[in-house]
Amino acid sequence: MPSVVELVQSLVNGVGIGLVYGLIAIGFCVIYNASGIVNFAQGVFVMLGGMFAYSFLVTLKWPLALAAAASIIVVAGIGVLVQIFIIRPMWERKAPMFAIILATLAVQLLIEQIVILTMGDQPRTYPEFTLGGPLKLGPIAIGYQLFWVLGCGALMVVLLQLFFNKTRVGRALRACSQNREAAALLGIPVGGMLMLSFALSAGLGAAAGILITPTQYTAYSVGAPFGVNGFISAIIGGFGSAPAALAGGILLGVVQSAAIVVFGAGYKNVIALTVLLIVLLFFPKGLFGGLAKKH
Amino acid sequence: MTSTSGTTPHLIEVDGLSASYGRVAALKPVDLRVEEGEFVTILGPNGAGKTTLLRAISRLIACNGQVKFKGQDISKLNTHQLAKLGIIMVQEGRGLFGEMSVYENLLLGAYGVGNQRDEVERRFTQVFTLFPRLRERSSQAASSMSGGEQQMLAVGRALMAGPKLLMLDEPSLGLAPKVAAGILDTLGELNRNGLGILLVEQKAPLALKLARRVYVLSSGSVRAELPAQEIKSHHDLAKFYFH
Repeated sequence: MPSVVELVQSLVNGVGIGLVYGLIAIGFCVIYNASGIVNFAQGVFVMLGGMFAYSFLVTLKWPLALAAAASIIVVAGIGVLVQIFIIRPMWERKAPMFAIILATLAVQLLIEQIVILTMGDQPRTYPEFTLGGPLKLGPIAIGYQLFWVLGCGALMVVLLQLFFNKTRVGRALRACSQNREAAALLGIPVGGMLMLSFALSAGLGAAAGILITPTQYTAYSVGAPFGVNGFISAIIGGFGSAPAALAGGILLGVVQSAAIVVFGAGYKNVIALTVLLIVLLFFPKGLFGGLAKKH
Repeated sequence: MTSTSGTTPHLIEVDGLSASYGRVAALKPVDLRVEEGEFVTILGPNGAGKTTLLRAISRLIACNGQVKFKGQDISKLNTHQLAKLGIIMVQEGRGLFGEMSVYENLLLGAYGVGNQRDEVERRFTQVFTLFPRLRERSSQAASSMSGGEQQMLAVGRALMAGPKLLMLDEPSLGLAPKVAAGILDTLGELNRNGLGILLVEQKAPLALKLARRVYVLSSGSVRAELPAQEIKSHHDLAKFYFH
């Protein structure tokens, strides 16, 4: 039986990874709300964020802020390219939604293979943003990177809320999520909004990858598990607002972390899926009720 | 092509517009025109193709044929580009953003205005003057309003877009007769101020009071085009419906 200290420690760790899941979940929601597409390539943006940050930071020795900003911009650009060359042609030819979703899965596999060919299959990591630590609170150790994840995660959610609620383009994206035809009839370029949603979503995924890589590692294969956990978080949160997705991610992260302590690491995904099933059983629209009212 | 006067292009001119759902031809080649400042109504029974015609003009569905706006061929433009030209459609069912407030819905109507605050404010003033109820309800979610208020919002939002041609699909649908009459009276006022209107309406007596010309649509084809004054009763209409 784990001690209280172990459980509290797992809670702290769970919040950290949960915030990352939450950022990935927000990425899922942004694209889904703008288009009805579940982008299964979302996890690969997380992996690319870490990979590019590694290249800029370690290989090119750029300063952290520049490396992080450049990674986010490059990955957002890749998101746009995916939208232009894969999603848009299918969308314009009125391909069935399941075919578009399958295409996003193919994009994930394709990008993974490109990364293997260009960067190899070895895992990579780089130092935490603030060296030293961890911070000791009695027997509980909190790595400084967790504060970076917390701070950046909170900042991004606040900025996203401001963007969606206070800006003309953000409101237009929300309008597209509710009624694309009506949005187009008012002069809102729905296709452009879909492209923007891919850029935003890829950028968010990249940010998550940059933040989490120092505490774990990045490699061609990390995209799929991050994607699955982000997807589960989005469903738990209800595929609605950014705070709901973030809450879904934190819940999943904490439960997974506690499960590792109580049952062992092998049960992490079993517990994650069990939590998902329980949530859907009692809250079929997700914890915050966003599911099913769209699309 | 110019109007009968020979000098001014038609506000909108539809030439051989056709559309189909799968193998079913919902709209056989249809010709239609609306002049500047004209109020035109499309009447017809259920399934006549009235909604399809408006959706085809707005490019919400794929279609064949030519559409000109003030003499300019707009057949290749897509929906949001048409809106920027001033061709605005109020959908059947209103198409409101239900989770957003009245204010946000109206603001989205002025999306094409960009960040010109003065122009946006001017349009807000115009809409609130026309529909004072919307000012009172500006912070309320659109979905929480009554049917009549929602229709006011749908029309108000369309006006925020600065229409040159306003197309409306069954604006009286689901409304109490008095409320529907109020909405149509407002459309009449807008038309008297020079706005071109193309109205699809089942409630023929209401629409005929306002319209200058009427197209009668049946089975996807125009059965008649005539001045509204010539249609005296539903009995006359039925003659065209079942032609």
